[in-house]
Amino acid sequence: MISPDPGSFRDPSGRVFIEDDRVLRAIYEMGRDNFEAVQQAGVLDALIAKGLLVEAEEADAAAAAELEPRPAHLLAHPKIPFISYPYEWTFSQLKAAALLHLELHLEALNSGFTLCDATAYNVQFRGAEPVFIDHLSVVPYEEGEIWAGHRQFCMQFLNPLILWAKRGVVPNAWYRGSVEGIPPEDLAAVLSWKDKLSFTVLAHVVTQAKAHKHALKTETKEKIVKTGKLPKRSLVAMLEGLKSYISGLELPGGRSVWSDYAEDNSYNAEKRAEKHDFVASMAASVQPEMMFDIGCNSGDFTQTALDAGAQSVVAFDFDYGALERCYSRFAQSGASVLPLWLDAANPSPAQGWANAERASLGDRGKIDAMVALAVIHHIAIGRNVPLDMAVDWLIGLAPYGVIEFPNKDDVMVRKLLANRKDIFPDYTEEAFLHHVGKRAAIVEQKKLGADGRMIVQYRRK
Amino acid sequence: MGISERHLGAFAVLTVFGTAPAFAYLDPATGSIIIQAVVGAVAGGLLYAKLFMNKVRNLFSRKGSDAASENTEN
Repeated sequence: MISPDPGSFRDPSGRVFIEDDRVLRAIYEMGRDNFEAVQQAGVLDALIAKGLLVEAEEADAAAAAELEPRPAHLLAHPKIPFISYPYEWTFSQLKAAALLHLELHLEALNSGFTLCDATAYNVQFRGAEPVFIDHLSVVPYEEGEIWAGHRQFCMQFLNPLILWAKRGVVPNAWYRGSVEGIPPEDLAAVLSWKDKLSFTVLAHVVTQAKAHKHALKTETKEKIVKTGKLPKRSLVAMLEGLKSYISGLELPGGRSVWSDYAEDNSYNAEKRAEKHDFVASMAASVQPEMMFDIGCNSGDFTQTALDAGAQSVVAFDFDYGALERCYSRFAQSGASVLPLWLDAANPSPAQGWANAERASLGDRGKIDAMVALAVIHHIAIGRNVPLDMAVDWLIGLAPYGVIEFPNKDDVMVRKLLANRKDIFPDYTEEAFLHHVGKRAAIVEQKKLGADGRMIVQYRRK
Repeated sequence: MGISERHLGAFAVLTVFGTAPAFAYLDPATGSIIIQAVVGAVAGGLLYAKLFMNKVRNLFSRKGSDAASENTEN
């Protein structure tokens, strides 16, 4: 079955459709000339060969015949294992995506082509590797034309990175609320004068903000702003300048609460080994094509699942420090692991146009298995979610999985309860097993050590 | 570090020299359009200066490394 992707309507020269295990891209009459010019010059193939652009081939005529209106061309692409959005990425992921975008733009300019937009949603991750997914963004370059995607690039890549690096403020909550990104006018208002002492910030943030505000004040409907000529060497210099500035951006120092958790948590080696075996046994029997690791920390158990047979993992955590470590670990190993930020009590919603342009977390494809280790107490006690609802959500994520349950004697649970009244009489092992049993078959259950945590493997009913 | 209206006027003057079509479905936004010619020109100057400085630096470091390699041959 072929269904249109609800996020691909903005550029009328084409449309994306999803069909079982491939993605189809229809190119309509409006986009025909540009696409044929790009195709003839071999730019797409060159970008694909460099690993910057997702693979494409002409699709069979039968698929094209199914579409209305009939496209001038139809491309077929392999599916990205899991679609993610910039407001779920870590600093390093957003930075890698920005650098990929600039690199791709520079490569295209080298062959006489340019990019007609600069949206971060056109970058997706396969494991730790960013890849550009919109073939219709590549269009013929005309000498002197301005960079149409400039403001978009600033709002969706540059500004969130500056906010993160210079102010130490994670932009994701803001970005999620304002899906077009962070406007220069708003960023300029929160930067200090010291932050502004760089050509990039002065030019792309401060000056652009002033010019934008000025234009809003003085513009009339009839007035058409003449676009200045931007020689190619200037455009290239601007892109090179941004590339060099963004490459140099780093997170402000400081360790996070969780990033050292894997090393010095309350767990001893023996219990950890038992837990690894338990996760491995589930992954080996289910052989998940796609697995969720909820609360991945630096990815130790993700690695165990991969070793036991999981093909791809989306590794979620609430802590950016842990995710950074996880990202760098799997970027080095090259495993198919995508770390993403998640607040389990407030996962990414469906949003954008018609509440469908950006999919909710639970609506991005089939998840074969999930692992939730040392997570449920943060939801049930940390966020006051009744235990049955917490179990319901976790088991709803995937048909097979592993859930670990620390009881009230556990040092981590005691910490959560240290400064508050215990209003959780129903937070017990018995209740947990009961809730799991109502929704799934318990394939295996075990105590990690004599006094340790309960861990279960379930198979959803 | 404010930028006055006069400066913006200068940007506007600089950008009226010629027109080039924007090749996109995307509305590029007026603020971005009016600064690009100037930002691009300055970025070009900075890049040129950087490349020039790199050349100068290379010239010196090559001399340094030549001297070092001569030493190792001895």
